[in-house]
Amino acid sequence: MTRQPDNRTNDKPGDAGDSARLPTYLPNFCSSAIVFVVVLIAVLTSIALTLARQTEWSSFFSDLAKTSLLLVWTSLAITTTLCVLRSWLNRFSVAGASILTFAAVIIVITTVSEVIYWLGMTYSPPGMPVPNTWFPQHHWYFLSSNIVVGAIMTGLALRYFYVSHQRQRNVESEARTRIHALQARIRPHFLFNSMNTIAELTRTNPKAAETAVENLSDLFRASLADSSKLVSLAQELEITRVYQNMEQQRLGERLVVKWQLNELPQQARIPSLTLQPLLENAIYHGVEPLPDVGVVEIEGRRKGNMIYLSVRNPLPIRKFKSEAGNQIALENIRERLELAFGSSASLSRAIDQTHFQVSIAFPIKK
Amino acid sequence: MTTRVLIADDEALARSRLRRLLDELAEYEVIGEAASGSEALQISLTESPDIILLDIRMPDMDGIETARHLSALDKSPAVIFTTAFDSYAIDAFDSHAIGYLLKPVRREKLERALEFAARLVRPQIEALANDSERPATRSNICARRGEDLHLIPIEEILYFQADQKYITVRYLHGEDLIDEPLKELALEFADRFIRIHRNTLVALIWVERMEKTPCGQYQIWLRDCAEPLPVSRRHVTAVKACVKKCI
Repeated sequence: MTRQPDNRTNDKPGDAGDSARLPTYLPNFCSSAIVFVVVLIAVLTSIALTLARQTEWSSFFSDLAKTSLLLVWTSLAITTTLCVLRSWLNRFSVAGASILTFAAVIIVITTVSEVIYWLGMTYSPPGMPVPNTWFPQHHWYFLSSNIVVGAIMTGLALRYFYVSHQRQRNVESEARTRIHALQARIRPHFLFNSMNTIAELTRTNPKAAETAVENLSDLFRASLADSSKLVSLAQELEITRVYQNMEQQRLGERLVVKWQLNELPQQARIPSLTLQPLLENAIYHGVEPLPDVGVVEIEGRRKGNMIYLSVRNPLPIRKFKSEAGNQIALENIRERLELAFGSSASLSRAIDQTHFQVSIAFPIKK
Repeated sequence: MTTRVLIADDEALARSRLRRLLDELAEYEVIGEAASGSEALQISLTESPDIILLDIRMPDMDGIETARHLSALDKSPAVIFTTAFDSYAIDAFDSHAIGYLLKPVRREKLERALEFAARLVRPQIEALANDSERPATRSNICARRGEDLHLIPIEEILYFQADQKYITVRYLHGEDLIDEPLKELALEFADRFIRIHRNTLVALIWVERMEKTPCGQYQIWLRDCAEPLPVSRRHVTAVKACVKKCI
């Protein structure tokens, strides 16, 4: 049984790195649900201990009463202590918080045991060398057995809290990844507006309608493909231009896109749909809310082994309301760049009085 | 007699599609096209259409705010919203029985919506603004000058001052009269304006300083405003606290 707590300590170094930015795995000991769990653990442990100690049934209940009295009150004292220390413990890493919790528990157990033993000594009826059996008689045996049992139980409980916290975190991060994957797709707003454009063009300009359908198909093929796939820079620039054509059709003179690409290695790899969503954001947040012309500038250059791309759009004085999707889209691109190139890739944004700019940098990989 | 329809959408192709669909329906006549919310308001004032097809996402002022200003007109048109995709707004339309069309618009649905088109009343629009996750406050104040409408962006307004019947709106480039109760303005823009007098609301962002005159009166100075405004005794404490916090 003592293996469990050791096991837990072995797990910790691996997590120490990311523990700094995570909230502690320790549950909220001030909540009634946790107090209930702690009392339950104490009672079940008392039953187990009493059963293990007993050879006959006659004294089982009085022994159980004694044991559970000790355990329940000790564990309530522990819970109170951890509740009070909670905000302080939260400041430490997983390893630090575990060690401190462990130490706090042992201190509480020692204190409680000592108090009980000395109570038994002080209040024993005069003339009787040995007080009644409700109090412990062997000081060191009482203290050490309490500490060992407490240490084992605490180890198990901490391990349990850690594992269940870990599981919950995995579930959460999985859900987040899935949402991001969905958000990487092209905006429904764009899809339906394009459909509307096509519906009109089929009557007035069938040739343009045909081109629009082809463009839209290309975009959706790219968007439905695996979003972690790397494509060539030429392909990504192509799909971005296709997207620009669609928007040009819809917004007409209101949209001006200025390209300035200087000697980019066309064969360099880039995650599919990296530049396109940046242009999409720029148009959605920067051009559409403007009553007149909006200019988006796309710039690309190479410096040494790195490629730098940036998209710059005017900041509308008044934004459309209820649209906060921008952050998620950028976060998504950052994650995919990181996945493909590790820490050598980066995404940064800059806002000044009049413009918003997103820049990405990534190494050339052929 | 034909029903007169105004189309408001910032995309030319979206407008021409609606116009084409409406041309196929004998009982409706398109009396104009607007490319923005303010243009839609202006045309509504001069042309008094019976129905307006109003896109939600438009530059300068979105459809829902436009509808709000429209409802204040003497002869306000019935409103049918159009949208490509806006899940919040659509939920709100459904729950308040407000007519809307999804783009690309189908002919049968357009016909049906036109048939049942109804004027929006104010509580409906307010509920709509709330439920569609847009702030319930307008971003412009609409002032009327005879046949002309003038939209004043909220952030350019220095103060509102109530006269006997009208309210003077003082903003960066001038003054206008509006016909709205000061009490409701105070409520709607509670986070931007503070009452300094029974008849005056000032914009917090324009407050420069507050001072006491030799005769014991308090007055407030606003940036870009040559004259100080008197602060009434009743409001001094509240204004002081607020000015301290905000400047």
